[in-house]
Amino acid sequence: MRVAAFWTWVLLGCFMGMGCAQAPLSMLPPQGPGAAGIADLWWVLFWATGIPAVAVILFTLFLFLRRRRPDPDRLVVGDDAFIIGGGILLPAAVIAILLTTSVRTGGEVAHPSREPALTIDVIGHQFWWEVRYPAHQITTANEIHVPAGEPVRLRLASADVIHSFWVPRLHGKIDTVPGKVNTFWIEADRPGAYRGQCAEFCGVQHALMGFWVVASPRASFEAWLADHRRPAAEPATEAARRGRAVFEDAGCSVCHVVQGHTDPTAGQTAGPDFTHLARRRTLGAARLPNDREALAGWIQDPHAFKPGVRMPATALAPGDLHDLLDYLEGLR
Amino acid sequence: MIDAVAGPKDARIPAADPEVTAALERIWATPRTAWGWLSAVNHKAVGLRYMVTSLVFFLLAGVEALLMRLQLARPELEIIDPDLYNQLFTMHGSTMMFLFAVPFLEGLAIYVTPLMIGARDMAFPRLNAFGYWIFLIAGMMLHVALLAGVAPHSGWFNYPPLTGPGFSPGVNIDFWVLMITLLEVAALVAAVELIVTILKQRAPGMSLDRMPLFVWAVLATAWMVIFAMPPLVVASLLLALDRFAGMHFFNVMAGGDTLLWQHLFWFFGHPDVYIMLLPALGIVSTLIPVAVRRPIAGYTWLTLSLVAIAILSFGLWVHHMYAAGLPLLGMNFFAAASMMITIPSGVQIFAWLSTVRRGVRPIFHTHVLFVVGFLVLLILGGITGIMVASVAFDWQVHDTFFVVAHFHYVLIGGVVFPIFAAIHFWFPKLTGKMLSEAIGRWCFWLTFIGFNLTFFPMHVLGFQGMPRRVYTYLSGLGLDAGNLLASVGAAILGAGMALLFVNAGWALWRGRAAPADPWGAGTLDWATTSPPPAFNFAHIPVVAGREALWRDGGAEPAAGIRTYPIDTPGDLARETLGTTILDAAPEQRLVLPGPSIWPLWVALSVGFAFLGAMVHLMLVPIGLFVAGVALVGWHWPPRPKEAPTGGAGQAAFEGARLPRHATGRHGTVWWGMVLLVVIEATVVVSLVTSYFYLRVQVGDWPPLGIARPDLWLPAIATALIVASAAPIGWARRSVPKVLGESEGPSTGMRLRKAVPAGLLLVIAYLVLTLIDAADRPYRWSDHAYGSMVFTLTGYQILHVVALLGFGAVVLCMGWRHDMGRRRGNAVEALWIYWAFVAVTSVVTFATVYLAP
Repeated sequence: MRVAAFWTWVLLGCFMGMGCAQAPLSMLPPQGPGAAGIADLWWVLFWATGIPAVAVILFTLFLFLRRRRPDPDRLVVGDDAFIIGGGILLPAAVIAILLTTSVRTGGEVAHPSREPALTIDVIGHQFWWEVRYPAHQITTANEIHVPAGEPVRLRLASADVIHSFWVPRLHGKIDTVPGKVNTFWIEADRPGAYRGQCAEFCGVQHALMGFWVVASPRASFEAWLADHRRPAAEPATEAARRGRAVFEDAGCSVCHVVQGHTDPTAGQTAGPDFTHLARRRTLGAARLPNDREALAGWIQDPHAFKPGVRMPATALAPGDLHDLLDYLEGLR
Repeated sequence: MIDAVAGPKDARIPAADPEVTAALERIWATPRTAWGWLSAVNHKAVGLRYMVTSLVFFLLAGVEALLMRLQLARPELEIIDPDLYNQLFTMHGSTMMFLFAVPFLEGLAIYVTPLMIGARDMAFPRLNAFGYWIFLIAGMMLHVALLAGVAPHSGWFNYPPLTGPGFSPGVNIDFWVLMITLLEVAALVAAVELIVTILKQRAPGMSLDRMPLFVWAVLATAWMVIFAMPPLVVASLLLALDRFAGMHFFNVMAGGDTLLWQHLFWFFGHPDVYIMLLPALGIVSTLIPVAVRRPIAGYTWLTLSLVAIAILSFGLWVHHMYAAGLPLLGMNFFAAASMMITIPSGVQIFAWLSTVRRGVRPIFHTHVLFVVGFLVLLILGGITGIMVASVAFDWQVHDTFFVVAHFHYVLIGGVVFPIFAAIHFWFPKLTGKMLSEAIGRWCFWLTFIGFNLTFFPMHVLGFQGMPRRVYTYLSGLGLDAGNLLASVGAAILGAGMALLFVNAGWALWRGRAAPADPWGAGTLDWATTSPPPAFNFAHIPVVAGREALWRDGGAEPAAGIRTYPIDTPGDLARETLGTTILDAAPEQRLVLPGPSIWPLWVALSVGFAFLGAMVHLMLVPIGLFVAGVALVGWHWPPRPKEAPTGGAGQAAFEGARLPRHATGRHGTVWWGMVLLVVIEATVVVSLVTSYFYLRVQVGDWPPLGIARPDLWLPAIATALIVASAAPIGWARRSVPKVLGESEGPSTGMRLRKAVPAGLLLVIAYLVLTLIDAADRPYRWSDHAYGSMVFTLTGYQILHVVALLGFGAVVLCMGWRHDMGRRRGNAVEALWIYWAFVAVTSVVTFATVYLAP
């Protein structure tokens, strides 16, 4: 019985301390129809397996521990009936419930309830996410803006190795497989920001390959689209204009595109698109908040925050750094 | 006087004639020198080495785990950098799977199985030693790599393209593909060994339906290894070729496919879980009846469900790939198959429970505590297992800490707990010393509590969105508390497990001496002394029921054990009894080889070839050539002793009249060869399946601009090699089919005629094949099609080279008249391999040249 008491304690403690609500990556409570379907399935799985499992464990402990033993040759239930009942019929009943629920849920959440109006391409890179809106010629990174309350189709591809796209609050995960395009969908019930994370080990910085899905009402989403279709803003200040030169001279433009500023024929894809960098919430694939201090730190030594990340450290004179920061902060 | 020779009084097998016993000791002894230690081949030496070595690796993997938990104790710690962390989790997984769980259970099986079935040694003792040595080399090299900071760093699953030459150019992954291949070979060797031993060397009367359940579990597991390891051999071979020879199997830019790896890997990887679980189930089926003093209930149910698990486990592999974007309908079938495995598992549990309810209240020795802990944890790991079998649910929890929690419940609860139970149970038998029960109880409770503290919170962490294989996590994600709890739990778990080693050390130093049968068990391993003599049993015991040492229906010790003597004074050999597969009726005396240094030489040269691949590819054929030479030394037949085998006819007892070195279709050599061919055939099937998989996945096959290959030359070559098998078949017909019949006088003559003719045809095949390959308008490094075709051809050429060597050795036997029936065995084996190579030539030809 010590064991049973222990388990009760552990179960209670863990579930009370679970605090899923404060965990932005938590799959509970769900906030989109995909995740909601799977959460409903989870509770079926939990009760349908949990009750028989606890019962069998208690029965096991009882059989081992009881002191009064019946006459083994006069048991009412023979071995065969005992084994068939507990070992075949019981699991078969559990499986029947689980399998039917699971297959039904799978069919329901595999596809959106209605045809998505918007398609977004998401391309996994070591160790960030490229996001393209093919109908609007928008490219951004590590942040996927979607209209709330509408399903959105995703086409997932990889630029290098296998990654896995996962926004637990909205839906399950799907791999980005080189040479393949997987289609998937997400929908957020309400406006809000939902954290995502690479779920397939993809190399040294797999751990910190995050992103955000930002759902907003249709009108503000349209405004976001309109803003982001424009090329980058011209530098507004003298410092920002100097910063633009630093961006070229220091080699930033080898990997990063700024629409309207960098050479459109260079075909850079190694790093995220910077056309509207300043409007993004985070830096380094959801590693740091996007503010001046973090940006300065990241430029000078990204490996201090993400050891092994592809971006090299850039040594800049303090003046150049501030010019560059002015320029980047103007990319709204 | 007799006791002084045969061991303590309590051994249940009656002592033999002291003269015979003394002679047996002499015949079975391994020289007590360093050279003798390196030459040891006895199953107990090899089994013990496997177990001790794998426990050392277990400790190392445990330290790796503790380092990871240290790094994850708080968010954003910088104790271990990400590259080292990735090496640690890769090594932890690979070590626990390949260097601890599988080899430990193999070691236990190698040690205990012959004792349980009443045999004196295994069928191929030298092969056994060879398997251990390559296991040791591979495990050491992986850890040398870790010490050097260049250990594999992409997970035990090793997915390309991350592990391909493009994204992992260093030697890290080279160590993985090469050493894991060696470990696979070691596992295969042990599997062949165990199958043949179990089928052919059981004590008289131990028909299949009286075999101990542990032996059933080992047999089912060994068959699983035979079919599960070859696909992994192929996977690691293909990846090695991508890395070392510029091939493109997994390179999508050149027509390869990355999911091919996942299919091959998980076709091995999922059965591998059951390769670890099945022996654990066998251990529990052995321990429970002893604990509750009652023969096992539902014996037939247990054997059938073991076999069902073994078969079903091959139909589940896709449940590791639910997130890869495969068709939903197909995945639902795999979900159904995965959930189905609950039924045979449930049968196991309820058969045990039925035994428990019929038995007495057990004394809770440490091994019984671990069995109860196993039941609790296996049920908990089992239910999360059914959950992750659900496609939709797995889309959420796949690759999260929920899965980490699940498989640790299954692997620690379901495999390590039974292993700990087995150690506490068999330690007296292995060492002759009793473990301390007090330390044992501490060990159990710390392990059980620490385990649950570590892994139960991980379920919750998975729900909170913590992905697997991460070296850190950001604060503010709500993951701090669960991780801290898990790290504290890991420390307790580590302390609990360390107590096992403390206990063992204490027992060896000043533990109480163990009687032959401290637990009152029913299997034959407890009928001999603790530790057993080198020859296990002075007399081969005769078995009359499922519990050889118990009286029918209860756990009362049987009055006396009948024995079946085979040793005749004056005509003694290192031999054991060979019996029939189904009924275990005596049919022959199997003479077993003694200590030999050659297995070590072969292992060293194979290890040299594999490690050499990282330095220069030319070192591979050099190493393999040396290994081939050593193999000849290994098999070089000793001059027979004076005593003729026919002289035993006058002996007074039946056992002494059994033939030695009997040829025949179903002897140990025949079975060993058949299993080798089954393994090789599985490799060929895996390769051919990979060919067709790529063909279906990749649109242009062959790639645009490459004409379909010309048929004539390869067609003629294939006809030649098929024809070459005919003379060998003719030579083989002179070998008697009936067991024990003497070889006809014509075998030598036929060998001298047939083998050269066959070899000439094979050489012609080889030349034509090489001409055809050289003539191809593309190379293996051009595209995946080229890689696939050249690999199929290359593998066939390897077969042919092996056949040439084998044929040459058997040809030499054609001139030796002193080999008796052993020559017949060699001819049988040659014929099997020859026929196999002919068939694979046809399959390769049909795949590359004829397939639509």
